[in-house]
Amino acid sequence: MAPPIFRLLADLEAEGLLPPTQADVIRADERTRPFSLHYELRALLYLGITLLVGGLGVLVYQHLDSIGHGVIIGVIILAMASSFAYAARHRAPFTWGEAPRTSIAADYLLLLSCLLFLVLEGYLQAQYALFGTRYGLAAAVPTVLFFYLAYRFDHRGVLSMAITALAAWVGVNVAPLALFTSGFPAQELSAPGLLLGLGLLGAGLASELLRRKPHFVYTYMLLGSNVALLAAMVRLFDDLDHGNDWQALLVALLVLGICTVLVWYARRTQSYVFLLLAAGYGYVAFTTGLVIVAKAILTDIVGWQDAIFSLAVLYFPMSLIGLVLLLVNIKKILHRA
Amino acid sequence: MNTKAYPATWAQGDAVRAAASRWQRRGLLTPAQRATIEAAHPVTYYRPNNWIRVLLFVVTLLGAGTAMASATITTAFELGPVAYALLTLIGHLAALELLIKKSRYYRSGVDNALLYGALLAWAFLIACLGRDTDPSALTDPALWRWLVPVLLALLAALVRYADPLVAATSFAAAFALLFNVLLQSALGRLLLPFGMMAAAGALLLALRQLPARDDYFYYRSAGLVLRTLGLAVFYLAGNYLVVREGNAQLLGGGGPSTQIPLAPLFYVFTAGIPLVYIGLALRRHDRLLLTLGLLALAFSIFTLRNYRSLLPPEIAATVGGAVLLLGALAALRYLRTPRHGLTAAADAEARPYFNLESLVVAETAHAPAAPEPGFEFGGGHSGGGGADSSY
Repeated sequence: MAPPIFRLLADLEAEGLLPPTQADVIRADERTRPFSLHYELRALLYLGITLLVGGLGVLVYQHLDSIGHGVIIGVIILAMASSFAYAARHRAPFTWGEAPRTSIAADYLLLLSCLLFLVLEGYLQAQYALFGTRYGLAAAVPTVLFFYLAYRFDHRGVLSMAITALAAWVGVNVAPLALFTSGFPAQELSAPGLLLGLGLLGAGLASELLRRKPHFVYTYMLLGSNVALLAAMVRLFDDLDHGNDWQALLVALLVLGICTVLVWYARRTQSYVFLLLAAGYGYVAFTTGLVIVAKAILTDIVGWQDAIFSLAVLYFPMSLIGLVLLLVNIKKILHRA
Repeated sequence: MNTKAYPATWAQGDAVRAAASRWQRRGLLTPAQRATIEAAHPVTYYRPNNWIRVLLFVVTLLGAGTAMASATITTAFELGPVAYALLTLIGHLAALELLIKKSRYYRSGVDNALLYGALLAWAFLIACLGRDTDPSALTDPALWRWLVPVLLALLAALVRYADPLVAATSFAAAFALLFNVLLQSALGRLLLPFGMMAAAGALLLALRQLPARDDYFYYRSAGLVLRTLGLAVFYLAGNYLVVREGNAQLLGGGGPSTQIPLAPLFYVFTAGIPLVYIGLALRRHDRLLLTLGLLALAFSIFTLRNYRSLLPPEIAATVGGAVLLLGALAALRYLRTPRHGLTAAADAEARPYFNLESLVVAETAHAPAAPEPGFEFGGGHSGGGGADSSY
């Protein structure tokens, strides 16, 4: 018996929804269409690169005192140079739009050469103290280089590496799962983190509005909002702890501002991620701001404890209704743009 | 009575619309033709978006729980657990059938919750009737008295509702039963891996008949779940590490595991099954088989390294990474023009995942940092990587 897809096709033909000649074309396409190994090969390439860089990175330090280590350095330099040369040979001419993808291999070899550059830089610093104690410079060199390469070669992976290097310069972790791997950023890093995040969000907005590499916006926005909102949360709760209510209110308003931008971008690109991110952080900021305002107004009129209790009884069921309304209308909210 | 709870046309319509959308993306249909096809096969059932489905699922569970609690309170706890379980079962099934008929629910969250609730009530009922069995112990010789009725109910539900989660649970129940029966005799213990492999193989062969059936689309998602689990169990039951460590556990655990009988046979299975999966997948253009084959291959390499440390991890990572990289590059180059029905180009119908990819890079692409002074290498299995972002 014929495979199910051919039965569907025959049914559609019998219903008169498809002319027989066209059905034959589709049938031929279904039969002869090659099986794509695109994503499997990409995954294997990336896995190979990660393993290779991880292995070489350890080997370099293990053989610091032996003769073998010159060989290892030579291999790293050779691999870096040749993969970069391959990527450079296959690069597309520069454009502010999305460059046509000329070669998958070139994309991954560029990534490999950037990672090997980091290995090499770390080695030079460890062995010869190339940057001395100017650690900022050690992070600034890859940042500048990777930003240039990301724009010149139109490569989102290298852009992520550039942003990561920039964040390392500031001293924070921008990785999407940073909250789960390294927790909230330390209190003293919340101001630089907030500034970095706002800067990245600004870069994202500018790219979107000026149509300069608009396909980079997602990376800027996600990494930027991640670090900005985490840092702002740390700031918010720190201010509350120390009784700086008005400063906390300002931070809450800032969070709401960031969330507004995220909602705008989410509706523009129909992205669930940004909408949910904005809803979650926005809810926390809004609730905190409400508590601060209520506290300031109500403390003098009625007892603070009584007021907060009766308000909470009202507020949380209403938030639940709000959540349900959001989920029910999530498609409408995204697609009405 | 119809054996299927949901009209088969619902699943069929889903398949038609999905195919039409795919053909349009490939440029084989005009948008107008696709619209005509969709108008002729409209969505006639109720299934909201995923967020609402989860919400409806939770609300239904809460509602059913409340109804049960009020029934228990109004009867003043006088009827005994069996009667309450029976009541719950009947109530859930009645509500389920009614909602499918009247409101045309199709995996909307509500019907899922009612189905699982009914099956749980049945499992509880059987456990109440056979008080001497302990459903939590896999080795209990009387386990079948609980497991067989539960499995029968699951299979009946699978045939009628074709639910993927019920399919997975039926699979687990069937293999738990097989495991339990084989454990009862010395011969069974010896044949345990082969029994598992034979059962999984039989399931896989049976599933090959599914595409030829008229109701293929109705059972497609359930069949996919069963096939995935069957392939996984077929490999794992023959894997040397699983068999050796499982054997050690059965013999009482404690201490390092010892060599197992027929070890060479399991070496062959461990090395061969992933390669067979990958080879068959490439021949039959089967993505599920390919993915599982690659995962199985990774687990086989882990198995090998677990017992025979051929190279230090950092050298193994370097060499393995280089081989993988060069191999994938060669494959890319070789398949630039499609050969043997394979291509390195992306499917025109596939949605790109580049955003996801740049995030993976942000999460994982760090060069290993220089070790702190005084840090000694040696031992440990990780090959470095995952450096902190702070310098």
